[in-house]
Amino acid sequence: MFQRIFVFSLMLALLLITSATGLAQDDILLYGGNQDIDNIDPATGENYSINAALRSLYDALFIYRGGDIEPHLVESWEVSDDATVWTFKLKENAVFHDGSPVNADAVVYSFNRAMAISGPPTWRWESISDENTAQAIDEFTVQFTLTQPFAPFIGTLPQLFVVNPAIVEANLGDDMGQSYLRENAAGSGPFMQGRWEIGNLYEFIAVDDYWAGWTGDDHLDGFIWIIQRDASTQLNSLLAGETHVADSPAGSDREKIVDSVDHVLEEHSGFFINTLKMNNQGEYTSDINLRKAVAHAMNYEAMVMAQDVKITILPGPTPANFQGYVDGLDYPTYDLDKAREYLAQTPWPDGGITLDYVYVTEFPREEIPGLILLEGLAELNIELNMIPMLWPDMVKSCGSPETGPDIINIYTQPTFVDPDAHLYNQYHSDQWGSFNSCSFYQNERVNELLDTARVIGDAEERQAMYAEAQETINAEQPSVWMYTEDSSTALNTCVKGFLYSPMYPITVLFQDLWMDDC
Amino acid sequence: MNIRYYLLRRIILIIPTLIGLSLLTFALVRILPGDPVGYAAGPYATEKIKDELSREFGFDQPLPLQYLNIMTGMLRGDWGESLYTRRDVLGDLQIFFPATLELTAVAVIIATLLGLPAGVISAMYRDRLPDHVSRVLSLFFVSFPAFWLAMIFQTWFGRDLGLFPIGKRLPVLVSPPPTTTGMFLIDSLIQLDFETFLISLKHIFIPALVLSFGALASITRITRASMVEALGKDFVRMEQAIGIPYRVIIFKYVLRNAFIATFTIISLNFGWLMGGAILVEMIFDWPGLGLWITHASLSKDSQPIMGITIFVGIVVILLNILTDVAYGILDPRIRYG
Repeated sequence: MFQRIFVFSLMLALLLITSATGLAQDDILLYGGNQDIDNIDPATGENYSINAALRSLYDALFIYRGGDIEPHLVESWEVSDDATVWTFKLKENAVFHDGSPVNADAVVYSFNRAMAISGPPTWRWESISDENTAQAIDEFTVQFTLTQPFAPFIGTLPQLFVVNPAIVEANLGDDMGQSYLRENAAGSGPFMQGRWEIGNLYEFIAVDDYWAGWTGDDHLDGFIWIIQRDASTQLNSLLAGETHVADSPAGSDREKIVDSVDHVLEEHSGFFINTLKMNNQGEYTSDINLRKAVAHAMNYEAMVMAQDVKITILPGPTPANFQGYVDGLDYPTYDLDKAREYLAQTPWPDGGITLDYVYVTEFPREEIPGLILLEGLAELNIELNMIPMLWPDMVKSCGSPETGPDIINIYTQPTFVDPDAHLYNQYHSDQWGSFNSCSFYQNERVNELLDTARVIGDAEERQAMYAEAQETINAEQPSVWMYTEDSSTALNTCVKGFLYSPMYPITVLFQDLWMDDC
Repeated sequence: MNIRYYLLRRIILIIPTLIGLSLLTFALVRILPGDPVGYAAGPYATEKIKDELSREFGFDQPLPLQYLNIMTGMLRGDWGESLYTRRDVLGDLQIFFPATLELTAVAVIIATLLGLPAGVISAMYRDRLPDHVSRVLSLFFVSFPAFWLAMIFQTWFGRDLGLFPIGKRLPVLVSPPPTTTGMFLIDSLIQLDFETFLISLKHIFIPALVLSFGALASITRITRASMVEALGKDFVRMEQAIGIPYRVIIFKYVLRNAFIATFTIISLNFGWLMGGAILVEMIFDWPGLGLWITHASLSKDSQPIMGITIFVGIVVILLNILTDVAYGILDPRIRYG
């Protein structure tokens, strides 16, 4: 009997091993993404994977290509001197997938629908718009009259994806079409939906006669976003040829990808910024000298060695490659003597205090800086209490100065190319309550500068204001400025046209990719 | 006791069990500190956006009312929406549960097919080489964590040797068979689509094998122990004395006696493996409950967590009842009480 079982098992194993596996197909890009695309409604969905889908299925007035913003649905535009009235002339050849024109009414409809639903993407326009903001002037001219001046307005428009009003109205339901649009596109983008297997994979099929044309030498026939949450699976699939791209591979897998002749690792210094936010209203960290002591007790060079990704130490509050960066600020370096000097000027000259350090549970990239700081602070006789927390709990703790931890490790990412996107949400006291402003920093002059720079059009004047704001912020050390984390994407060498885009929450621009002999 | 009364009593007992389970789960996800709304609303959400979301999902109501709303909704067949994905929980359960059930079922079948003969051989060759080998292998399989074995098997058989796929239920370019049960092996057979059946089997084999290891070890050891005990019984000596062939004694009489304990462990393993599938699903990108609940737990998305817990709770309870009923069929001497 056992012999029969053995022979049967052997035959079954042979059959399985020799059966087909379904190999890759030309010009269909297989993309290993580590996040689900669980909602493609432009009014409610927003994260990097959702944006990958939205940018493929829909069009917006402007588009981020690489680090630059370009007009997309827009032919030309005008803005009033006070940066309040924005008038956009639309391209007349843009059509939805059903052939109807992408006109001013569709833009107004999309904007008003998003604002009425008030979903996550609408924070950009919440404080600067009302129900009369968007108006169609003629069929292809749309005007936005903001409730207050906002100079970086264009930077927010790549997130205003235009929906086809006819399709939404036909599937309106009792939730303004949310149930329908969550899984069904109503756009004009370069791709249409194919197989849509929730929690598994999502297929995008190229629109051959895409109204805007294709920018690369060639274009994909389509791509499949394959959810791969585990780093080892991402790597193995890529190296085995089951996928062509692995987004954000683990730092520990870097060498294996670099060593593979068939693959290339695109590493770019982006705007994914890590800071240790110190509670400026806290019992101990409200003391500026203590904050400076902490900043000088951090061994920045050790962090470069310890992190499993490539990082670039921040030269002050703003990354050197971001708009508004001020060169030559006197930012802290690892110097324990200086740290002791600052500590001596606090009510705790000999240390003897304990500071809480909060980081995301099971996230070594946030734990490691804490451990390095713990060692530095021990030299000052300051104890660091390491507290792992789930992310929702960390967000909650940033709700008020009373609940804000002494030190919290936070990643931020500017949402558009403008100093406002980086500085306002972190250092303006109106923003208290958000995790971005978990340092609870308050300086009236900085508030005034950030408010004024928002509403004036002159670039030089704005730059001068942001420079002054940063000098003040730098001098008051509300946070320990840590590093920007390099973004990495692993690609098969046959994938062409990749252009890194650093803006939140933007990912690969699939319409620019093509495959050469894959 | 009559089996009908026994079943009725067990079914009635499901109600307080599920109430307890739901209360505990609700307490864990809603009462513990945290800001799931803030997480779901996104990193830059304004207070207005958060308030809107909070109202929509009933977070602004008192906790007892929130619990009652969830439970009455479930009784009406409305299992709510995920706060994060805005997707219908019951709909998602229908998508993800068959994948986990299929993986678990195949793992249990593999564990039984390998574990049962291994236990029998181990008992037949007690304290000899096959028994020692079986013990060492059992210890090995129990000791090594499934996720580690999953990564090793994936790397060896998938990446280096190319014998099996890296993950997923089917190749990404192959469409699944039309849904009848949601289990691709069964659905492809229903369609008489043997090619998809084989491809699907190839995809499930390594994840199920890895998942089966823990259960395999326990089935082997329990079978061996029960067999050894049964082999020492008088009836075995008597059957040997009257000249019944040893193999017949083993498979017809001893194994049948020993199987009750093995059956219990197989049944229990089904529930355990469903829980243990989370990490294996993660590594092999198996789109089942595991990946779903991991994300829901990390984001404190209470509705899916409640839904999955109660659903899996019902499945495990029903399995236990079925096991009890099967005892009576396997061994008519057993009485319900």
